[in-house]
Amino acid sequence: MTDPLPSSDAAAAAAAPPAPSLALEFQRVSKWYGAISALSDVSLRIGCEIVGLVGRSGVGKSTLMKLAVGLLQPSQGSVRICGIPADRRAARAEVGFCPDTERLLEPLSGVQFVAWMLRHHGFSLAAARDRARTVLADLGLASHMERPIREYSKGMRQRVRLAQALAHGPRFVLLDEPMTGLDPIARRELIERIRALPAHGVGVLVSSHVLQELQDLVDRVVMLHQGRVLAEGRVAELRDQLPRQPHRVRVIAADPRRFAAIAVTWSGVVGVRLDRDAVEVSIDGGPAFYDALTELGATWPNGIQEVVALDDDLASVFGYLIG
Amino acid sequence: MNDLRRTPGTLATVLESARQTLLLSCRDRFWWVVGIGLLVLPALAYVLAGRASERIDGRSLYCVLAWWLLGTVVVPWLTLYLGVQSVHGRIEDRTFQYWFLRPVGRGALLVGTWLAVVAMASAAAVLGVVASFAAVAAHGELWPDGVDWRLAWVFCSVLVAGTVAYGAVAALLATWFRRPLVWAAVFVVGLQMLAANLPVSAGLRRLTITDPLRRMMLDSIEPDGRLAQRLWPAEREFRSELIEHPLRDLAVLVAVALALAVWAYGRTEYDSRERE
Repeated sequence: MTDPLPSSDAAAAAAAPPAPSLALEFQRVSKWYGAISALSDVSLRIGCEIVGLVGRSGVGKSTLMKLAVGLLQPSQGSVRICGIPADRRAARAEVGFCPDTERLLEPLSGVQFVAWMLRHHGFSLAAARDRARTVLADLGLASHMERPIREYSKGMRQRVRLAQALAHGPRFVLLDEPMTGLDPIARRELIERIRALPAHGVGVLVSSHVLQELQDLVDRVVMLHQGRVLAEGRVAELRDQLPRQPHRVRVIAADPRRFAAIAVTWSGVVGVRLDRDAVEVSIDGGPAFYDALTELGATWPNGIQEVVALDDDLASVFGYLIG
Repeated sequence: MNDLRRTPGTLATVLESARQTLLLSCRDRFWWVVGIGLLVLPALAYVLAGRASERIDGRSLYCVLAWWLLGTVVVPWLTLYLGVQSVHGRIEDRTFQYWFLRPVGRGALLVGTWLAVVAMASAAAVLGVVASFAAVAAHGELWPDGVDWRLAWVFCSVLVAGTVAYGAVAALLATWFRRPLVWAAVFVVGLQMLAANLPVSAGLRRLTITDPLRRMMLDSIEPDGRLAQRLWPAEREFRSELIEHPLRDLAVLVAVALALAVWAYGRTEYDSRERE
């Protein structure tokens, strides 16, 4: 087992046991819900690297992840985590999963929630609480970890979900839409932490329906469409194949008018629309907008509260790939 | 971290699951309703005892009150609600995923939850029995031969046995059905009430909890004919041969319900329900 916390020093990383060459393996996996096919003949091999899983909502990303952690059983084919069939208990000890569900155990504090989960990995009461505190502090929740989860913001909840996935020291982590609802600073921090995981012997599969979110994070991308692997490869290779995709982003800011006035001056922004407490920005698909947004977030504390991609911006990409 | 964790055994998982269920359920606002009920119950018993002094003695009054109110209404609904909420509530709000991701058996998690439900419902039932008994016992004129304290013990043990069985049925309904409280209503109001009016030889009675509980109670309190008819109106002539083996019947029902619940909990893909 490894300690996946990115804050650990290089020595710890060096001391980590060698990562398995193959952390997650899907062999011709299909999954049906009655007559509906959610995944069809999917084969994947992921080692100690960061792989992005991209596709529109409903293409089977969550199904694939839940098959990998044993929450679902394949109708056909096999899934292995670190060489162990995914439905075995031993496999669950080696895997961490950050689900896309919003709900947590609301009356508990962040520390209690993570510690409760660690108890089922065999941690003693004291060790579980210590470990939970360490992980949550490392994820930036030091001052809020004892408050009830029901008082947490979306970003804080996301960190708690991430903490329960990492705390027990898994060798493979699956993150289902982890950037949803995060502000630019939290997004950047999360990306840095995820990027540090392979150095600690941890493989990562991270899903998103926004290709832009993953470009700075992943080593390669797997694109899903209608339950099948549509394309697979390094981000740069795939991007080279694609035309620039214009799309819209909804930004919730502390002062929407001020944000709109700033955003309209950025290159890459082709339109700005004020909508009550949010600003809808149309962008040309290049990275300039996201770079500028991150810079603004760093200089305007709590100014940018949430960024949500509005479009199925991959729709035309898929159309392009499908021909 | 290898020093910090070791694979938890089944017993450790059961106990931890019970602890977590207890701590989580204790924060439920539902307990305010239970608390108010525990205040209203002895008040009601005290008022009834004050008005019924010339028509019925304390022993009969308490038995009727404890059986018909606690035994057939409060304990079944309280336990079924707690059990369904603890198991099915997690499935509905999808928090079950966080437990299912751990390297422990789902069956052990469910058994731990069931134990916690039994502990909570039993505590409430015992408090209800003691409080209502104290209220009736306060009317000394109703107990010409002295207060029969043994009755409180009898009802405590009968109702605790009831929580064990209703908890198992709640686990079964919560793991098998999408609307377990509707099925709980069918079980309590439909099946049990229907079976209560059937002859004692009817096999359908074996599928109920009320029937073995009633036989356990009657066996322990040794009622006269009039009290027996108040507690078992369907049987005109109560005879001790009718008691048979209520504890065995209850144990079989609990074992079957729990086994089916554990089997379903271990195999069902609750995550796929939204797709079907």
